[in-house]
Amino acid sequence: MEIKVCIGSACHLKGSYDVIHIFKDYIQENRLEAVMDLKSSFCLGKCSNAVSVVVDADKYFSVSPDSARCFIEELHRWVMK
Amino acid sequence: MTMPHYIDIAHHSLNKFGEELCGDKVEIIKHDDRIIVVLADGLGSGVKANILATLTSKIMSTMLENGADLIETIDTITQTLPVCSVRKIGYSTFSIIELDASLHARIIEFDNPPFFLLRNHHILPIEKEMIVSSDKKVYISSVDLKIGDELTICSDGVIHAGVGMLLNFGWEWKNVAEFLEKQDCISSEKLNRRLIDACNSLYEDHPGDDTTAVTIKVRAPLEVQIFTGPPSDPSLDAQAIKAFMASPGKKVVCGGTAANIFARELGRDIITEMDYINPEVPPTAEIEGLDLVTEGVLTLKMASEKLKAIAHLNEEPSFEKKDGVNALLKLLVEDSTHIHFWVGRALNPAHQNPDFPKELSLKTHIIRDMAGTLGKLGKIVDIHFTD
Repeated sequence: MEIKVCIGSACHLKGSYDVIHIFKDYIQENRLEAVMDLKSSFCLGKCSNAVSVVVDADKYFSVSPDSARCFIEELHRWVMK
Repeated sequence: MTMPHYIDIAHHSLNKFGEELCGDKVEIIKHDDRIIVVLADGLGSGVKANILATLTSKIMSTMLENGADLIETIDTITQTLPVCSVRKIGYSTFSIIELDASLHARIIEFDNPPFFLLRNHHILPIEKEMIVSSDKKVYISSVDLKIGDELTICSDGVIHAGVGMLLNFGWEWKNVAEFLEKQDCISSEKLNRRLIDACNSLYEDHPGDDTTAVTIKVRAPLEVQIFTGPPSDPSLDAQAIKAFMASPGKKVVCGGTAANIFARELGRDIITEMDYINPEVPPTAEIEGLDLVTEGVLTLKMASEKLKAIAHLNEEPSFEKKDGVNALLKLLVEDSTHIHFWVGRALNPAHQNPDFPKELSLKTHIIRDMAGTLGKLGKIVDIHFTD
């Protein structure tokens, strides 16, 4: 599974840095490096839904630093199915 | 035929401790074919010295600019300067550098410390001719400069730095010369800041005299091209990118959307960085063939603010951190002489969002602001609209 976090201007202001760190920490804690490939990207074109996250190149989500932990847990459950 | 070159000039001053005005004054006149630099050091300190130095530098630079004879200029100064009621003299020392387009330099000195001319990091001794005008002994030197040469003139505050404090006799000319020989600086700005900063340290932050230096470095031109946002009409993308890639020098793209378009048009991968060097600064990216790729408006705004601070301070700026802002500033401040901005006016939907800070919505304002500050730092800047 490839997870791309937008680091464009709008998303940066809305907390890309925190989102990336929450994801990174979760992936490390749960040793998910083999199944989750975390990346960043410049503007994904979904600026009104900042912080924009795209999973496997076609599923777009809007994540905030507050919802990041729930979101990555959700992805974890999904990837384990 | 002279090699293409760029005359890089920088100057910095320290005011005598407790003084609001500097008693040293630098005047620079830049024409395409001729440059005149005057450094005057007025007698005393504070307001009186400032007036003497300002009059001297302004009169001399204006007269020489208009083709007046040197002796006539010195006589005018002697007869014009107001006489100090305490010391019964009207007095200001001066150093003048005249430089023409073929790099022929004439240096005229009256009572200031002798100039420092460095070629390949060694002092190059130049024979001086003395003339006497209005009882003043004035020394004239002529030299043909080459690319890489560094010429520094200063007020006596530099060679006296630390006198009676850290050093009995102050820093002294030969030690300043040795210090300059040891430096390896790409820009005048850097060399000049190092010198003035060193003086400030010797004075333990309490300069005993006004301290000023001007450095001229003859450099090969270094171009940098900065692309900051795609054209408003997407059909112009390909053409703008082609022209940009064909331009000389280093290439920088500031803007995520623009960077994505570059990757698409050039058919190359864009790899965005994941590690934040500074949480405030959006990460950079890599595209083969570009020297630097950063996010746009936030990086530019931060760079513009830091640039203003740099222009105000004497200390040598540090670009050690490798985040987008520092990488961009290093290119602008140290590694370039000619800077070309390529500005597109495409509206970014993100910036139309009511939550997006208003002052960031107009990238062209930030670029104009930045271009103004770079101009003050002696850079040759132009802004080209791609649409």
